[in-house]
Amino acid sequence: MEQSKQLIGIKEYVAIALLMIGTKLTDDTPSIIFENVKNAGWMTPIINGLIAIIPIYFLMKVVTNYKSKNLAEVTDHLFGKFFSFLILLLLLAVGLSAVIIDTAIYTDIIGTMYFSKTPTIIIYGILMFVCAYGASRGFEQIGSVAWIVFPYLQGSLLLALILTIGQGNTAFLFPLFGPGTWEVVKESSLKLSIYADFLYLFLFYPYIKNSKVFKKGTWLSFILIVINMSISMACYVFLFDYQSIMQLNYPYHEVIRTITFGFMINMEALFLPFWLIASFVRFSIYLYVIAILFGHLFKIKHFEYLIPSLATSIVFLGMIPESPTFAIFNLRENLILIVSPLFFFLPCLMWLVAKLKGEYKNANKKKVG
Amino acid sequence: MLNRLLRKTHRKKVKNEQSSNEKNTLKESDIDANLENTINLFKSLYSYSDNQDVILRTIHIPGINKNAAIFFINTITNPMSIEDYIVSPLLQNNDATKQVEDIITVQSMKTNTRISDIVTHINNGNTALFVDGEKHAYLIGSSNFEGRAVEKTQNENVVKGPKEAFNEKAATNISLIRKKIKSESLVVESLIISKRSRNDLYIVYEKDLVDDKLLQNVKNRVNSLDVDAVQNLSLLEQHIEERKYSIFPTVLYTERPDRAASFIEDGYIVLLMDNSPDSLVLPATFWSFFHTSEEHYLRFPYGNFTRLLRIMALFITLFTSSVYVAVVTYHSEMVPPDLLLAIAATREKVPFPAAVEVFLMEFAFELIREAGLRVPSPIGPTIGIVGALILGQAAVQANIVSPIVVIIVALGGLSSFAIGDISMNFTVRIGRLLLLFAASFMGLFGLTALFTMGIFYMVSIKSFGVPYLSPLTPFYASSGDKIFRKVLQKEILRPGYVKPKDIKKR
Repeated sequence: MEQSKQLIGIKEYVAIALLMIGTKLTDDTPSIIFENVKNAGWMTPIINGLIAIIPIYFLMKVVTNYKSKNLAEVTDHLFGKFFSFLILLLLLAVGLSAVIIDTAIYTDIIGTMYFSKTPTIIIYGILMFVCAYGASRGFEQIGSVAWIVFPYLQGSLLLALILTIGQGNTAFLFPLFGPGTWEVVKESSLKLSIYADFLYLFLFYPYIKNSKVFKKGTWLSFILIVINMSISMACYVFLFDYQSIMQLNYPYHEVIRTITFGFMINMEALFLPFWLIASFVRFSIYLYVIAILFGHLFKIKHFEYLIPSLATSIVFLGMIPESPTFAIFNLRENLILIVSPLFFFLPCLMWLVAKLKGEYKNANKKKVG
Repeated sequence: MLNRLLRKTHRKKVKNEQSSNEKNTLKESDIDANLENTINLFKSLYSYSDNQDVILRTIHIPGINKNAAIFFINTITNPMSIEDYIVSPLLQNNDATKQVEDIITVQSMKTNTRISDIVTHINNGNTALFVDGEKHAYLIGSSNFEGRAVEKTQNENVVKGPKEAFNEKAATNISLIRKKIKSESLVVESLIISKRSRNDLYIVYEKDLVDDKLLQNVKNRVNSLDVDAVQNLSLLEQHIEERKYSIFPTVLYTERPDRAASFIEDGYIVLLMDNSPDSLVLPATFWSFFHTSEEHYLRFPYGNFTRLLRIMALFITLFTSSVYVAVVTYHSEMVPPDLLLAIAATREKVPFPAAVEVFLMEFAFELIREAGLRVPSPIGPTIGIVGALILGQAAVQANIVSPIVVIIVALGGLSSFAIGDISMNFTVRIGRLLLLFAASFMGLFGLTALFTMGIFYMVSIKSFGVPYLSPLTPFYASSGDKIFRKVLQKEILRPGYVKPKDIKKR
């Protein structure tokens, strides 16, 4: 808060993006995807990735057109006060519900897989306390932490995947297209919103060193995320086959429980801390995103001060669903379906409006209030 | 009654203040041309005749036929030089045309009229010469404070490389640095930082390297001190650091002149003071506490081997005991069955939970360490015997702790010595206890939560505007001397985070 605002470089930015979106492969996102496309689930990230290029490209065009304006300010500028308020409110609602659902899931993972006797509120409370602490340190600090821990997290994932491949059966991958080509493409595209978080990345635009770093960083992290997701999903199939993977809620955690390495039979103790660090950093970023949006919508300048109260309310909202393992799974599935069209059409709409308003012609002498 | 008493003491205080105010205004004035008056003034200032080591000698200078007085404090001056270069020439002078400056044969001499300046010089061991009819005093350098000679390093020992250490004399320390940096751009500025004891501080830097903003920042912070006395650098460190309650140090404290010199050559600022056998290096990053000078003196593979050992020791110190408690208490299913059985077998007869057991042992270990430090050296070996024998062997035999806990705590304790810097050593030890607490309450989850918060805290620390973990993050151009160092020929950049005026080393 009292820190001077320093702009972050490409390393930190890519680390943030990867931790924010890439961590999804360790929660129940893979299960949601596997549910409909069976053993071709590993293709979904790639197919979705190809589709997601369109909205990200348009958004990049629109946002980088303005110097040091984030997504919210650009929306204000393009749609006028009223409509932009509605759009941003929608984004905030989606973001907030995503954070609530995701934190509830992560709490459930920790609770069911590792601390089955500990009350949920304590796990949830500690999780959000750490994230709130991290987020209130400021964006630059989140970036630094993300970059410090990122190599080790990626390393631990890589180790897990290598061990998985060693113990898995590649034949489980066939038939290659699972339930059929058309089915795979259709079902995949409905779950486009696994990349919807990229929308929120554009809120960070003013914090990044320059637009070149932002463009390069976004595309680089996008490619890395697609690769990470599809490889690890393929690995899940190797190890479990599609029948059992559809039954598993949290495949990553089952993977690290199943794999062995020499004399070490139970390895989850080795991977759990890394995964926990990734989750802490991930939700710190999300909290910060929500705080930016909230602050922008309701004209709160020092939005960092919102973070503790946001975190507290998230804990109590996330505690509401009973038997979270099933309730939240459904909630999340629905959220993914709802957000997909939003993620696809909003950037296109923004680009179209900008085009019609003639924003690109006088882009160089831009100075918009 | 109480009221009256209060009033009385208050009145006294006011009176005292008045007299000290009078003295202060007196000090700001100039000296009198009349020798008698001047002598009386200085006699009263120094409580002459009560003050045993204040010497006043009146003489008559024959050649120019004037009376004069010499004033000095004999415990901090060199009597030989006063005798040979001041008194004898003055007494033996027969030449009427010579000025006083020409009679005295000493190296350094100044004239001054202000009483406060003259007093400062006398307090620093110089000799004041007052001559009748002259409105200024001659201040002659003759200071000679007692101190020890340059000795070997005590705390930052190296096998290969220079062995000399700073001592308590700032002049010696400056000379040790100048011996390493023979350059005219090396500047030694001096400042008086305390109001009553008038302690000198020396700011050492290279003027064509150091960032002016950083220098100004340091000077401002030193000048804004409002204290009576700062005896040495260890106290000054606590006055100028930013986060006084933080467990992380932000100012580096080194007793090695070679290390101080190499920091100066990178554009850092070094502070020296009398009475401090060490120097302060500003700004400091995490890495400067992690490194020692020996890693650059050793060849590349050897130096990095040491670094590898140290980073492993750092993590072992921080995590062994807490991970043990977490795993045994919360995650026993994660341990391979054979190992788990082995642990369970040793813990069978121990009545305490693992956390209590480890805390007991950690406490004992810290006690032994503290006792070993404070114990008078003739009975030092006893502590070793008592510590090892009673607390190790007997505690296990009495089933108070299990043998594996002794191993765990001893391993962590031993590793903590690999962090040589005294401040960082404390950080690591306190951090280890905090992590142990977290692990006792919430297992690996609590441990990781606290660790993540620690990293978040570390990246938000700044030392004089420099991020604590730079150049790791945020990125700065530098020679990349982080966990490992590069080959000497590739270390061609000065650290960018101190913003040196010239970033290239050659």
